[in-house]
Amino acid sequence: MEQLTGAALVVLLVASAAELTGISGRTRAGYWLSAIASLGAVTACTWILADGSTVEFDSWSPAPSLDLVWRMDALGAFFGVVVALVALFASVFAVRYSHRRQLDDALYPLFLLSMLGVAGAGNVFTFFVMWELMALTSFLLVLGDGQAHQRRVAALLYLGMTHVATVLAVASMLLLVDDVGGQGFKELGLAQPGPGARTSLALMLALVGFGTKAGLVPLHIWLPRAHPVAPSHISALMSAAMVATGIYGIARVGLDFLGPGEAWWGIVVMAVGAITAVLGVLYALMERDMKRCLAYSTVENMGIVTMALGAALSFRAAGQDALAAAALVAALVHTLNHAILKSLLFLAAGAVQHTAHSLDMDRLGGLIRTMPVTAGATLVGALGLAAVPPLNGFVGEWMLARSLISLAGGGGTVATRLAAAGSLALLALTAGLALACFVRLFGMTFLGLPRTEVRRREDAPTLMRLPLVALALMAVAAAAGAGGLVRVLRGVPQQLMPATGVRVEDAHRIVLSGGGSFSPATLAVVLLLLAPLPWLALRAAFGRTRRSRGHIWATGVTFGPAMQYTATSFAKPLRLFFRRVLLPERSVRVEYHGTSPLPRRVQYSGRVPAVIEERFYLPLRSAAIWSAQRVRAFQNGSVEFYLLYVFGALVVMLVVARR
Amino acid sequence: MNAEPWLLGAAQLLFVLAAAPLLQGLIRRLKARLQSRSGPPLLQSYYDLAKLFVRSEMVAESASAVQFVAPWVVLGAMLSAATFIPMFGAATPLTTAGDLLVVIGLFALARAALTLGGMDSGSAFGQMGSSRELAVGALVEPALLLSLVALAVATGTTRLGEIVAIGAHEGAGFFDLQWALALLALTIVMLAETGRIPVDNPDTHLELTMIHEAMLLEYSGRSLGVLHLAGMVKQLLLACLLANLFFPLGLRASPDLALYLRGGALLAGKLVLVGVGLALAESTFAKMRLYELPDLLGSASLAGFVAVAITVWQS
Repeated sequence: MEQLTGAALVVLLVASAAELTGISGRTRAGYWLSAIASLGAVTACTWILADGSTVEFDSWSPAPSLDLVWRMDALGAFFGVVVALVALFASVFAVRYSHRRQLDDALYPLFLLSMLGVAGAGNVFTFFVMWELMALTSFLLVLGDGQAHQRRVAALLYLGMTHVATVLAVASMLLLVDDVGGQGFKELGLAQPGPGARTSLALMLALVGFGTKAGLVPLHIWLPRAHPVAPSHISALMSAAMVATGIYGIARVGLDFLGPGEAWWGIVVMAVGAITAVLGVLYALMERDMKRCLAYSTVENMGIVTMALGAALSFRAAGQDALAAAALVAALVHTLNHAILKSLLFLAAGAVQHTAHSLDMDRLGGLIRTMPVTAGATLVGALGLAAVPPLNGFVGEWMLARSLISLAGGGGTVATRLAAAGSLALLALTAGLALACFVRLFGMTFLGLPRTEVRRREDAPTLMRLPLVALALMAVAAAAGAGGLVRVLRGVPQQLMPATGVRVEDAHRIVLSGGGSFSPATLAVVLLLLAPLPWLALRAAFGRTRRSRGHIWATGVTFGPAMQYTATSFAKPLRLFFRRVLLPERSVRVEYHGTSPLPRRVQYSGRVPAVIEERFYLPLRSAAIWSAQRVRAFQNGSVEFYLLYVFGALVVMLVVARR
Repeated sequence: MNAEPWLLGAAQLLFVLAAAPLLQGLIRRLKARLQSRSGPPLLQSYYDLAKLFVRSEMVAESASAVQFVAPWVVLGAMLSAATFIPMFGAATPLTTAGDLLVVIGLFALARAALTLGGMDSGSAFGQMGSSRELAVGALVEPALLLSLVALAVATGTTRLGEIVAIGAHEGAGFFDLQWALALLALTIVMLAETGRIPVDNPDTHLELTMIHEAMLLEYSGRSLGVLHLAGMVKQLLLACLLANLFFPLGLRASPDLALYLRGGALLAGKLVLVGVGLALAESTFAKMRLYELPDLLGSASLAGFVAVAITVWQS
């Protein structure tokens, strides 16, 4: 497996070189090679995960104590699978989709390489080298040619936030390195320092540092700007795979390095996750741009995963390792399912943009007739992310909800249990809002009448439809084989806790060690029996129905596309229900002409402001600029003043040293 | 292979399909009497369904396959949910395949199919109804979950059959404050989910207030009949949950035929009482404005949360 992984990484380097030098030309060899390398990486990582072993790779030292160490345990291998799986389909999609721009095409394999490197890093130095490579390549991919103002702003915001976050993440790991005296992930994992002020600080730094990458509220503001402006295959990689590396960081520090800790850790993490989930999906509902809507939904789902990590931390603090393991498996299952569904939807959005030349849900509509294959795949992805059973999106949320019920029923302190009950309520609200969000996304884009004329009346090209169909089938398979999936994933907590959290009975059924079982496959069979049965029975009893087509009744006038609801009006009830959270703005201006009582012109405008950005980040930015300007008064370019500063500093030092 | 779950499943499905229109007829009749009208005959819902099932359908030119498939998915999801809900005893046809969370999930699946079907033709009414249904549904979901979780935390299981069995066995501990609060939450959920006053009005087609009926406007003939039937089944399932989870006395975990029959008779009696309660509630309350609904549904969620909190505190 070492050889296969190494080969995959080499192929990625070759792919990058081929694009950079322009050898690949029109063949798109870089993307094909990336797809092959991803396939190899999926195989290798799955094998490591299923085998339950830890693979150590050869290391290379550019300088003393700066060793590049590669090590893949089950946790790392799992995130390797997530990255490589998304990369496989995104690469195939990009062959037809991506517009050729030499630098982007060359950066793409390096971006994949860096994400795989993060999952396979074996010490702190290697991890952050790869982490930075990932940040820089993704920044350049978001920036693109940097001509559009929106892209430039999004990319710079991303670059700034990711670097502040990296500082905190580095601090978190260095705190632990300082205690342990080694920087290898192996030694750090064995140390398990447990509760304490330093470990609490390390966890909180990790939550902020890695949570920025995962898009946790209030650190999410870059995500819905940066993810959508990149081309769809990059968006898919960022939103489905790169956010997962943030989760990986939190899980690595919280559940591997720290060991059983304080009771409040879990409460904080659960609360952050729950708030992130609700706000993420609320803002997703308010977006009319498909890709921004999907990006906010990523925020929501990372919140759900974080909730599961919080539950795992709570169970560990209470000494219930089996239940902690079940909660961790819930987090992993949801991470994987989200990766499959979200890459599916981002690629589908790319297909829509390719064909209909728009992502604005207020202008789309009726695409199910011209793009049936894309519509079908999108429906699977939308229902999956709406957490509707028996699809795979429901599986992880079921495991999480069941874990939270166990936690509320008896997991440690009363505060923890009340937090679990509160998280459960917010999880239910999130699920209800996600249903509204994805029914809206699908219904507004694919159903009804086209709101603007679509010139191209055909589905996306075959090479773009192929990954969509494959991902939809994977979503179905991940649900049908949920028991088997969980059987593989329980190897992760087995290495960390050590407990498995789930019992193995059938390949289709999940049995949690805290009680409760669920079989999506059985449910699907029951549904597939009970839905057509009434149809057959009624046909046998009353004969076939005769169908005729007619116009939609519209109070006597001819029905037109403009009479339909739009995505914005569709979200109106929820915009008003949650007006105290969203603080929507609207203004209506009516102009009259002379003495006529009839208005001549009515102008309406409305928006949902990004409250956190405007109330928290903008004042913060103003304060930073203000203090920078004050400081500038000291730096006035006059040598005399500088000599005075040096003298002053000397006096202060002497005074301090004398004491 | 054990035949009992299959027989029980068949019995529950037939019961649900046969009794759902009767419960609907009962409520309509009672409401009419409360409003000093004589009202339709008790069996009117059956006549209505039979009429719709034989009629031909008229669909919009813009409708796609979604509109044809949706009614059957809605009914299928409801019937699947019926196999997880204890009815004549504490046993359910399906036990290890799912629990109360899956039942809530199946309700969400039905809502997804219903709302997508409503949006399919492009008619503004259908889209309006779908938009409102989803908004109300999002607020209903926490209340429904919390009211059931209060019982799950108290009994230590999420399987509905086991909750009923433990409740029937322990009996006394069931009439506490948290029990009453969870019952209140589920009652409000039931009013909202069945499209009744104060949330929606099943008797009106006034566009300002419609939720459920608006989604069905583009449907006709057999599809409309199936959607009506699915709505009645949903009402019956919620009534069964309310009757059996909160008043489980007399239900046994492993009944024989005589106990099943007794459980069935008990259930029939409880369902009539639930029907009376619904009719009374609908006749005494006034319809709320759509944008005031968060207050009502939020208080249902709050009641559910307090019920869970008290249970957590006491255990």
